[in-house]
Amino acid sequence: MGLPIAVLIVMFPSILFPSPNRLINNRLISIQQWLIQLTSKQMLMIHNQKGRTWALMLMSLIMFIGSTNLLGLLPHSFTPTTQLSMNLGMAIPLWAGTVITGFRHKTKASLAHFLPQGTPLPLIPMLVIIETISLFIQPMALAVRLTANITAGHLLIHLIGGATLALINISATTALITFTILVLLTILEFAVALIQAYVFTLLVSLYLHDNT
Amino acid sequence: MPQLDTSTWFTMILSMTLTLFILFQLKVSKHYYPENPGPKSVKSTSKHIPWEDKWTKIYSPLSLPPQ
Repeated sequence: MGLPIAVLIVMFPSILFPSPNRLINNRLISIQQWLIQLTSKQMLMIHNQKGRTWALMLMSLIMFIGSTNLLGLLPHSFTPTTQLSMNLGMAIPLWAGTVITGFRHKTKASLAHFLPQGTPLPLIPMLVIIETISLFIQPMALAVRLTANITAGHLLIHLIGGATLALINISATTALITFTILVLLTILEFAVALIQAYVFTLLVSLYLHDNT
Repeated sequence: MPQLDTSTWFTMILSMTLTLFILFQLKVSKHYYPENPGPKSVKSTSKHIPWEDKWTKIYSPLSLPPQ
């Protein structure tokens, strides 16, 4: 099979979420079902009926990014979310979807986002330009934020781990301090993995809220 | 910077699209959250057929034309 292994690595987290087939499922599926219900209730509270049609997309988004980030914390693993290509591929279509939904359903209101209320008359042209730029930067910021955070975390772990290893022969105390830093960093990375998934999904849902 | 090497971009985006939009959504869509059980109304829900309102004499077997 001439299949690049990256394809299999991207599809791997879906194996960890078995699909519920029975009336009463096993513990793993029940726990995941409960987690999804918890996050979906929290996240879809702010949306109206139209926005709630995106529930499936947002839930699979947060599960995908969260599981991919967490699996990337294992040693020697490949994290697909460090690839800018994939994050751009997620951010641009989702953001474009929210903007186009806004245009189709509330054309005047979505265009009105370009001009905040109560701006003095001479400032209007400049403000429209600034608002347009800030609108178009939203998908770029989404993608680059996720890539940079995960890549930076992995890089820090690599560097500090290497420093700890090199320091063992030189001075054991410094190595111990560096090892403590490494442990704290790993705990941070667990948090970052989950938080980044959350932030990505939250922002997409906010852009959706603006536009429905 | 390794992320800007565009040779891998097509593979990554394609596999990500496949995973995210198809695999995950198929799995999550099968999650079933049943409603809380509630009482069901005793009245039957069969439709009201106009000709069943009255039973008329013409349908009694003795008054029908012989077959």
